[in-house]
Amino acid sequence: MRKNVIYLLARQLWKDAFRSKVMHVALGLMVFLLVFSAYTGWENYHDQNFTRTGIQEEVQESWENNPDKHPHRMAHYGSFALRLKHVLSVFDLGMENFVGNAIFLEAHKQNTVNFSEASMSTGLLRFGEVSLAMLLKVIVPLLIFYLGFAAIARERENGTLKLLIGQGIRRKEIVFGKWLGLFGLSLIFLFSIFLLVLFFVLIESHNGMFQDNVSRYAVLLISYVLFFAILSTITILVSAFSITAKGALVKLLGIWLLFVIIVPKSLQAMGYYLYPTPSKIEMETAVEHDLIQQGDSHNPDDPHFKALKDSVLLVYKVEKVEDLPFSYSGFIMAQGEKLSTEIYKDHQERLYQVYQQQNNLERYSAFVNPYTAIKNLSMAFSGTDFKSFLYFKSKAETYRYNLAQEMNQLQMDLIPNKGKEGPNVISNNYWKEFPPFKYDLLSVSKVFQNEKISIFALLLWGVVAFYGLLRISTNLKAI
Amino acid sequence: MYSLLFKSFFRTRIFLISLVLLITVGVISILIGKQYLVKQEKAILAAQEFQQKSIERNLDYHNDDLGLLLYYLRFTLIKQPSNIGAISIGQSDVNPLLQAVTIRGLEGQKYDTDFENPSLLMSGNLDLGFVIIYLFPLVLIAMTFNLYSEEKELGTWRILTAQTSGKAKFLLKKLGIRILFVFAILIFLLLLANGVLSIPMNENFWAIFLQSILYVFFWSSLCLFVVSFRKNSSFNALALISIWVVLTVLIPAMVNNYVLNTYQVPEALEAMVEQRDGYHEKWDMEKDATMTGFFEAYPQYKGYTVPEEEFSWIWYYGMQHMGDLAAEETSNEMMEKVMLRNTVSEKVALFIPTMHAQLSFNSVAGTDMIGHLEFLKGLKEFHEGLRVNFYPKVFDNNPADSVDWQNHAAKFYKPTSYVNWVYILMPTLFIVVIMGTLALLNLRKL
Repeated sequence: MRKNVIYLLARQLWKDAFRSKVMHVALGLMVFLLVFSAYTGWENYHDQNFTRTGIQEEVQESWENNPDKHPHRMAHYGSFALRLKHVLSVFDLGMENFVGNAIFLEAHKQNTVNFSEASMSTGLLRFGEVSLAMLLKVIVPLLIFYLGFAAIARERENGTLKLLIGQGIRRKEIVFGKWLGLFGLSLIFLFSIFLLVLFFVLIESHNGMFQDNVSRYAVLLISYVLFFAILSTITILVSAFSITAKGALVKLLGIWLLFVIIVPKSLQAMGYYLYPTPSKIEMETAVEHDLIQQGDSHNPDDPHFKALKDSVLLVYKVEKVEDLPFSYSGFIMAQGEKLSTEIYKDHQERLYQVYQQQNNLERYSAFVNPYTAIKNLSMAFSGTDFKSFLYFKSKAETYRYNLAQEMNQLQMDLIPNKGKEGPNVISNNYWKEFPPFKYDLLSVSKVFQNEKISIFALLLWGVVAFYGLLRISTNLKAI
Repeated sequence: MYSLLFKSFFRTRIFLISLVLLITVGVISILIGKQYLVKQEKAILAAQEFQQKSIERNLDYHNDDLGLLLYYLRFTLIKQPSNIGAISIGQSDVNPLLQAVTIRGLEGQKYDTDFENPSLLMSGNLDLGFVIIYLFPLVLIAMTFNLYSEEKELGTWRILTAQTSGKAKFLLKKLGIRILFVFAILIFLLLLANGVLSIPMNENFWAIFLQSILYVFFWSSLCLFVVSFRKNSSFNALALISIWVVLTVLIPAMVNNYVLNTYQVPEALEAMVEQRDGYHEKWDMEKDATMTGFFEAYPQYKGYTVPEEEFSWIWYYGMQHMGDLAAEETSNEMMEKVMLRNTVSEKVALFIPTMHAQLSFNSVAGTDMIGHLEFLKGLKEFHEGLRVNFYPKVFDNNPADSVDWQNHAAKFYKPTSYVNWVYILMPTLFIVVIMGTLALLNLRKL
């Protein structure tokens, strides 16, 4: 293959593209959409995080300002955990608006993460959201198809393909030249968006987040470049195999609709259909059932707690709980918290496994649908996928558990046992000593692990696409 | 003439593909609706059983202390599901169908969500509404984009013009057959849904029925409009798909972004903190700090004496209520904001048939935002009713037996529904008339 011939053909495709009306309309539209999504994305990220950080601080302040009191009252006073947005949520909104943002953390009870944007939205949310990533995933592919459907098919229709070959240009050169031109066009959109994102990443990467953010950014950039290379290949392949340009366009539009709109949604719906999940009330019933089976702290004759009591009495060599050197009620609550938390976690884990089964149908379809691969990958590396949310949730739950158990421990150590004399409250210094809720983000290596399938599928697509390009170039029909 | 047009249409590949696609996806969407109803039914049964069992069990433990018993007991209010919701699931997957609350502060309980897979929430439900709003237009586009250009490109147009008197009439007939076919499938699917999902043939069903018909008319007129410019097939395909993307993806999504950003709801988070603090701080204050406010809200309990030095249930539930009062203002502001989001969306939707179809489907099916807000209002009344019913018994330290627990099965909230025909049908009808007229004017030049 001669490089200069390929460049010449690529440049020709560029020239034609910039002369066409489609490109003008597309560029105008893209500039508008880019500005709109960057602005709304940034505004949303900034305002939401500002509000949430403010409230998180307020929550901590009021926690510390509580007067001296009984530690169990503080366990009920509890705390809140507010989810913060990752800076890359400006790029890809992912599930951001469909997961909750705030959770109340109290003793004895795992609350739901509430106040998702979805729960405060109208039915419009289901039409989707505009974000920079959405432009790259949904709109630009369509533009690539628009700009490239005629690349080879029209040359053949016009008879110019025959001329090119007659002039001694090899088929391989024609195919790669056209491909390079189209791929180059798509990179205009890609780079303008990623340049903007780089700016956001740089100004928001403080507190040692820099390395993490930049590596996420780099993975996203490479993935999208590969994705666009694959899309350009598909376009050129379809164009090369279609008799007419019109046929190529209709096929490409069909592919777009199928892969971007219809298949992902149908598979997700199918997953939901195949693996039903319990409603909350059903799960709560199951949790309560298991809890009573294991040990019911309300029931004075419960065998579990009776055995526990006997063993504690035995260890401390005393006759009755009143003689124990610590607050027995604090001890029982600590045990109850441990038991109920384990059982709840167990049920929750099972629920998430069903979710995973539901999602896997779509996730594995990445091997036939590159859009799915990039969709999942993009969300995950932007910190807006379900796993990132679960990470926050598990951090919040750990904090809740530690808070409750710390208060139980304080009660055991400092509050006099039943029947003993002594103060019923402890100093508020103990609240100040309990650290505030903070959480980091899922590490990049963990994200890689979560997205193994998507990455593998995308790479495989890259290989297949390259192979396909090599193959057709030898089989390209001139007429 | 017609029989020939029918025959040639039935022989096209697009006819077969459309038929199979619409029927398959349509039937799947109805099955998904069915599953949605089954899931609701199961949840309701579970809630009813849960409530009964939990009353029984807790009665065993706390029979002598009604105040403590009511600390634990949860009472369920269920939004009476209507089968028509299965056609347009709307926001009813995000918002819970039922809420089980104790008589403690409501504000901390009423926003609890149900469990739902966020991936599913994000991709949205594949209900019949989706099939109508997204897929029917696509099929129409596929069948009409080359209505004229195909004849031109195949070279049959000149023969046709020589043989028929009205060229425009010919195109209209050709279009008519295609629209007729789409309507046949649409009506078939709607009636099938009606049967399979046992939806009563009431006003709400007919509203969705007519809105769907109008919506398909809108796309037909739009297709005709684009075709009437007599461009080539590629141009038409490109233009129509672009219009489809703009109407079903870009504009609604942009309006949504705009609405979410313009009307942010930090009040939701603020109210949550206010409620907790409003309640908890009272523990560290004089009893009067609670009771003054409580007696102001409920003067009928002024006769009760509240012991200063020890715990009493009137003080406890008084404190709980003070939490709700502390958050009330912010909570109301939050509701207003959410309503504002709805109002603005609806206003914009009047001009965009896709958005209008979705919002009016949801509204008629009772699965919209307003439906949920109404339910929350109902929940507040329900909670108040429970409290006022239990308060005197608790304050009098009555035993648990004094309550007739048979009356405390899970309750149903019946949503009020009425169909605003003008709002539902007029906007789309108006746009159809304009678009159709423009297309016909264009065709006269043929």
